[in-house]
Amino acid sequence: MKEKTFNITNDTGIHARPATQLVNKAGQFSSDITLEYNGKSVNLKSIMGVMSLGVGKGAEVTIKADGSDEDEAMNAIEEVVKEGLGE
Amino acid sequence: MSHKELAGKILDLVGGKNNVNSVFHCITRLRFKLKDESKANTEELKNLDGVVTVMKSGGQYQVVIGNHVPDVYKEVTALGNFTEKQDSNNEEKEDKGNLFSRFIDLIAGIFTPILGVLVAAGMIKGFTALFVALGWLNNTGGTYQILNATGDALFYFLPVLLGYTAMKKFGGSPLLGVVIGSALLYPDLTALQAGDPLYTLFAGTLFESPVFIEFLGIPVILMTYSSSVIPIILAAFFAAKVEIKLNTIIPSVVKAFLVPTFTLLAAVPLTFIVIGPVATWAAGLIGAGSVWVYGLSPILAGILIGTFWQVFVIFGLHWGLVPVAINNIATLGADPILVAMFTASFAQAAAVLGIWLRTKNQKLKTLSPPAFISAIFGVTEPAIYGITLPKKKPFIFSCIAAGVGGGITGFFGTQAYLIGGLGVFGFPSYINPEEDMNAAFWAIIGAVIVAFILAFVLTYFFGGVNKVETPLEKNDKAVSPVNRVVTVDSPLTGQVIPLSDVSDKVFASEAMGKGIAILPTEGRVHAPAGGIVTTLFKTRHAIGITTDDGVDILIHVGMDTVQLEGEHFTAHVTQGERVNAGDLLVEFDIDAIGKAGYDIVTPVIITNHGSFAELEVTTENEVRTGELLMNIEASDEADTETVDNTLRDVSV
Repeated sequence: MKEKTFNITNDTGIHARPATQLVNKAGQFSSDITLEYNGKSVNLKSIMGVMSLGVGKGAEVTIKADGSDEDEAMNAIEEVVKEGLGE
Repeated sequence: MSHKELAGKILDLVGGKNNVNSVFHCITRLRFKLKDESKANTEELKNLDGVVTVMKSGGQYQVVIGNHVPDVYKEVTALGNFTEKQDSNNEEKEDKGNLFSRFIDLIAGIFTPILGVLVAAGMIKGFTALFVALGWLNNTGGTYQILNATGDALFYFLPVLLGYTAMKKFGGSPLLGVVIGSALLYPDLTALQAGDPLYTLFAGTLFESPVFIEFLGIPVILMTYSSSVIPIILAAFFAAKVEIKLNTIIPSVVKAFLVPTFTLLAAVPLTFIVIGPVATWAAGLIGAGSVWVYGLSPILAGILIGTFWQVFVIFGLHWGLVPVAINNIATLGADPILVAMFTASFAQAAAVLGIWLRTKNQKLKTLSPPAFISAIFGVTEPAIYGITLPKKKPFIFSCIAAGVGGGITGFFGTQAYLIGGLGVFGFPSYINPEEDMNAAFWAIIGAVIVAFILAFVLTYFFGGVNKVETPLEKNDKAVSPVNRVVTVDSPLTGQVIPLSDVSDKVFASEAMGKGIAILPTEGRVHAPAGGIVTTLFKTRHAIGITTDDGVDILIHVGMDTVQLEGEHFTAHVTQGERVNAGDLLVEFDIDAIGKAGYDIVTPVIITNHGSFAELEVTTENEVRTGELLMNIEASDEADTETVDNTLRDVSV
């Protein structure tokens, strides 16, 4: 299992568009991928799940990937986050 | 061309009604399952006036009609003598075979939310009776009164609790169900039955019905609604239908109070007028029928009463037999008829024991012991509604076992000398005060043992305990197999715009999911379906509902409006709240948002559409709040899994 913590830097947090970016990226991998914030964990492949966390700017989130392609998945997601979630 | 003519031509062109296995419709299409698709004249059908086009997919022959498809569908079913149905996933034959099991699933689903407290109440009631039997409690004292009220309240007011859960199950407002259930038990009305009737209908016949009250001149036959199950479920089913219908026709300004007003005014009197007589007459028939069969053969009467006793209880029809027994004891000193039901509660207990020892499910293992103990003490509701009935076979086995028990008491002529306690506390009622422990008394002990062992052995070995999953064992929010087509109402009033025409490419490309956009003319977002508010972004511009069927609906008001940081938006709900279709979710100031330079176009997206077989959007150009916007069809079981996972995740 891979685990990484990220700082969300974009001004509006993880709202609809950034959530879509993350979910679509996560959906390309077969690993189970979760997003943790504020003690809650959601499936990173569900837009509603990700949005339900209401992650704001400056928040610290933990992403966990578990599965056969967990390394690739984590790298790809890291890239999306670092690119500012498409914003 | 009228709908009828069109329907006739369509039926001819799909190869005649004998070529049709089944037909149903969604928003715009008639969906046929044809025996032989080659018999259909697709080209001519496509050119037929009133038919937009024809599509074939997934074994379905789909004739696209447009929004008036329900009218055409009605004519098609009438002409072809097809049964009307909405469900796409079951063949007609399976449908019929499953009716019984669907009915049981429905009842089990309605009971699932209250099982924990039902079992608790059963234990309190059972132990209170035990303490009285042991002489530890005086059944006229205050301690007993209060303990008894604690244990019995739930059973007495069962229609109130079931009103809540049933209404929720049928998609209505649960609190309306509570009010309807309470009305059925309203003290002034129940007290009437103790007095003298105004007059008696059908006096001297089987259907003799004392009338205590009239509603607008219509005679209302009251019945005992306390502890009843089916009346409130029927009432809630009707009320939910009325409420949903009213929600679409009553203007939103006055909806908040007019919808519940008219729903209650329709449901409560109708329930009293219709259900009372039907149940009273059916109970009367059962009482008279039992006496008649007893005259033919006490053994046969014992077998029938024993077998069907629990079924009578579920439908509240056992009240037909109780007066017979009371009358027999009063006039003859003993009753040989009602005694046949005595083994039923022990058979239930035994079936629960079989399941308890056999199940691998933790929840069921936890619930079984108290349900077993309650049943031994004669309180069978937790056992029936929580465990044996949802498992189906164990319920049937326990009925068979109780039938055998009833046969034995009938053969030995066991009689009850008083109307006594239930379960183990009932034994003393069968002791003949003049003969003490006679053969007939030993016979009832033997009957209980036989019924107990029989129900246990059948359930343990043949009950399919680990095959049939009850709602309790499933995830609470599992997709109901009954309702596979989910409708999404329009959350807004305004102009309908294809998603691809939305300026933001994240929406237009369907990256977020499939759906449709609305250019609103009123700044009020209403719930498009009943469900949980899973997402309400703190900027209040985006709201997500997860329906009970697992559909994630995201309503995103305006483009880039996240940057308004909540200004011009007012939320009327909070994240995690349950809402009903039509509830006001968010208000927004269209003019102010427009002036601030934002596009107000509002996409309504199904974000987990991949979990569903098909999504259809309205073909209208304008929609009003509450009108049909989208239809979503659930596909197969594998996809249901995905839905469950999503739900579990968001509900953490």
